[in-house]
Formats: sequence, C-alpha cells, structure tokens
Amino acid sequence: MGPGSIAVRKLNVRFGEAHVLKDVSFSVGAGESFGLVGESGSGKSTVLRVLSGLNRNWDGVVEIDGNPLPQRPDKAFFRSVQMVFQDPFASLHPRMTIDAILAEPLAIHGLDQPDRRIERALAEVGLDGGFRFRFPHQLSGGQRQRVAIARALILEPRILLLDEPTSALDVSIQAEVLNLLQDLKLRLGLTLLLVSHNLAVVGHMCSRVAVMKLGRIVEESDIDSLRKQGGQDAYTQELIAASRRVALATA
Amino acid sequence: MTEEPPLVEVSNLRVRFHTPTRIVEAVRGLSFSLGREKLAIVGESGSGKSMTGRALLDLVPWPGEVQADAMRFKGQDLLGMSGEARRRLRGRHISMVMQDPKFSLNPVMTVGRQIAEAYQLHRKAGKAEARDRALAMLEDVLIREPSRVFDLYPHEVSGGMGQRVMIAMMLIGEPDVLIADEPTSALDVTVQAQILDILEKLVTDRGMGLIFISHDLPLVSAFCDRVIVMYGGRVMESLPARELTKGQHAYTRGLLGCLPDLDRPVRRLATLQRDESWLRGG
Repeated sequence: MGPGSIAVRKLNVRFGEAHVLKDVSFSVGAGESFGLVGESGSGKSTVLRVLSGLNRNWDGVVEIDGNPLPQRPDKAFFRSVQMVFQDPFASLHPRMTIDAILAEPLAIHGLDQPDRRIERALAEVGLDGGFRFRFPHQLSGGQRQRVAIARALILEPRILLLDEPTSALDVSIQAEVLNLLQDLKLRLGLTLLLVSHNLAVVGHMCSRVAVMKLGRIVEESDIDSLRKQGGQDAYTQELIAASRRVALATA
Repeated sequence: MTEEPPLVEVSNLRVRFHTPTRIVEAVRGLSFSLGREKLAIVGESGSGKSMTGRALLDLVPWPGEVQADAMRFKGQDLLGMSGEARRRLRGRHISMVMQDPKFSLNPVMTVGRQIAEAYQLHRKAGKAEARDRALAMLEDVLIREPSRVFDLYPHEVSGGMGQRVMIAMMLIGEPDVLIADEPTSALDVTVQAQILDILEKLVTDRGMGLIFISHDLPLVSAFCDRVIVMYGGRVMESLPARELTKGQHAYTRGLLGCLPDLDRPVRRLATLQRDESWLRGG
C-alpha cells in the first residue's frame, strides 16, 4: 500500500476491566477520506488515539503506509500522522503565542527555516500574518481551530486524524472549516480519518464510513449506498433517521 | 375566562458591558413575550442569546448593565424588584439549565446531594424527602441506576449524564419557566431525543414555559413553537418554528444554507456572508 494508507486488523484495547475496542478492522487507502461515526463511548476516539501513537496499550495489527506500527513509534512516525482535536479552547496552550505553538513541532523534529514554514502554514489555513504573535484567547473558536489545523499541517503529514473537528463551532464556522479541510486534502493529497457523531458532516466529507457501537464496528459502507439503501444495522438506521429528522426541516 | 398575563414579557431589553476601552452591547433592544409554549432563541456565539436568559434571572455578570422598558414575570415587575425577591424567584419559578455541566456543577459535592439541596431550598423539605425526590428526578431524566449515580461526583459522570443531572436539578423546583441554554448540544442523538421528550412533556402536562437557546436550527425547527433569530444582539427575524425554512432574512437563509445535508451532497458548502447593515436596521 502507498504512503498515507492505514490498515487496522483485529485491534483490541482494554483499560483495566473495560474492553473498549473489540476486534476493530478497517482500511483506508492513500488519499481517501474515511469516517467513523457512533455515540459517545463507542470507542471512535480511542481508535484515533491508537493511530496517532497516544495510546500505547493495544493488541492487533496496525499498518501505516504498509509498515506495521510499533507499540512505541519513532519520531518519523509522528511526523507523518497528525491529529486535530475537538475543542480548540482546550487544545492550544493559553500562555503560548500562535508563533510559539507552531514553532514547537518544528523544533522537536529539527526542521529548517521555521520562519518560512510558520508563515506558509498560517497562509494555508487562511490566517494572515497578523495572527502570528497573538495569544489563543484573542482568537475566535473558528480561528483557533484553524491554528490547530496549521499546527498539524506544519509537519507535512500524510495522514490527518480529525476528532470531531467542528462540533464545538457554530454552523457558519463549521462550513468554513470543512471547506478548508476539503481544499487542503485535495491540494496536499492527505488521507483523512474523520470521527464525528454527525452523519451529515461525515457524509459531506467522506466517501466511506464505519459505524461503531460499544467498541465494535457494526457496519462499514460507502456513503452513496448508505444514502440510497439505508443501513443494515439497527443502530445505523437510527443514526440515519436522526440526521434525516433534523434535515427534514430544510426540505 | 379572565385573561392570564403572559409568563414572561420583555420589552426593549438592552445588556451593555462597560469595558475600559469601549461599551460592548450584548443585547440591543430585544422584545418578546412567552406563554405556555416552547420559544427558541437561535443565533451564533456572541449573538446575545445566553445574555438574554441571564438578564431574566438577574445573573448578568459584572460589569454588565441591564436596561429595559419593561420586564415582567406573570405580571410582576422584575425591574423594580429587590435583589432578595429576584433571588426567591430564581430556581423556584424561573430556572436555567446552563450550557456546560463541567463548569456549572459543584465539583466537591455528589450530584445527588446537589439535586436534593435544590429541592430542600425551594420546597422547605426534610433531608429524607429531598433524597427520595432527587432519586425520582434522576429516574425521570432517564438515568439508569439513580441510586448509584446519586453518590457520584461531577468528574465521575459523562458530559451527557452531567447535562441530565443539571436538568434534574433545575426541574426539581417545578418552575413555571425554564430557560435551557444549549441543553442537548453535548448529547448523542438518541439521548437528545429523550431529553426533548421530557421537556415537551413538561410543557404540555404542567403548562411550563420554555425558552430554548440553541444554535441548532434544524433541531429548534422540529421541536419548538416559535423562533427568534438573533445576530449581534438584535432580532433579525421572529417566526413560527415550522416556517423557519421559509425565513426571509438573509441571515436566517445564510445559516440554513451552510448546513451539510446527508441526502443532498454538495461539493462545497455555502458560507455565510455577513452584512454590516443587519446591526443598524430595525
């Protein structure tokens, strides 16, 4: 498989007694957008934490770019897989300027020309240079999420993991951030793995989706057939019905 | 039949914050009345919708200043009322479910005791009775093992459960008016539907008035009776909830337009174009 591909087979995660991921298997091709949906506690964020190397206790096989992911990945791995978190109010250090936030990953990975890279990363997410020496509290929620995306992209990753990237934002800002992510994906050829409880958002961004419930993938389908035929699993049908119920209003 | 005064009447409400450099106007001239119905206030963050709820409860933080031509609860003038009298209304007659259970619950007290305390205060009840009522209330908000959850601290419950604890605490005093500030935004779709059912039942069975503050337009359109659309502290439009999609104002249309829809895939989402004139006109 090419660079940017993800393959997960029989992934199991336990926290003490709790068995939170049970035989999770899926694969994402290079440059593809894949969605994970399910209610809170279904294990979708844990999948992302394993893939990003934040959770080191797992069993099974995980392959990134066709190479098996070790339990303790090296620095190069972290450069190729980056994550954007849900809450832009909690994920940026409140006492660091945007400049310092973006410079840190560059220093860790020893990349040259930090100045040029920071400028380019800010431009990529549509923020002008005036934001560079501000603090997070001087930015709106949408601007902060753009900074979080810039921090992920500054290392030029192949894979972007998105954990509910827009659920803390207003719908108008959500549209802007989703458009930005689409543009970046096309321009940089990124592989996206998007976790969300909003099926409409996943449907907009992704071509395929896996539905999780209680630590298992209960169904995997491409979005088109989900749209046309509905889901096989009862829980999938419930999710589709819920998103249609609210979408009904705009009909 | 004698005419019953509306539960809440607000006319030309203004909330201002005096900061060292300028005056920030959070709410600029809002008027509405609430009967035994579900009224939604929608808008983006910063539109003044939460401040409106806080102004009704006299909970606008310093240095905020509240002015209005009239603000009445069941015909009683709220503006001329003493702080003590306003406090007696709060929780017992008008209560508010705050947005974030993480910051609104007391972190060093079990959730059950917090609910029981609310009941004791408002109903002058004994400890044992308050405990029984609190357990019953937890069951009403669909918490599966009320006696186990009763003894948990806020950090031990999930966001969705914390939200339901807050709702239980606000409803235990059986208020006439409930202001709910984004009560379901932290919940899964399935739990969300259940919480909305509880609120619906309270409005129809007990004749409670509900002010539902939200930024989720499709949700309020399906759930509420009337909608006020706010932007920058001003009312852009006020209309029946079922006709929200027929809203005429450019802002309402813009908000609706930027929602992704599972059944109508688009390549790019529309974005909202804001217009300065929205803040000037009437």
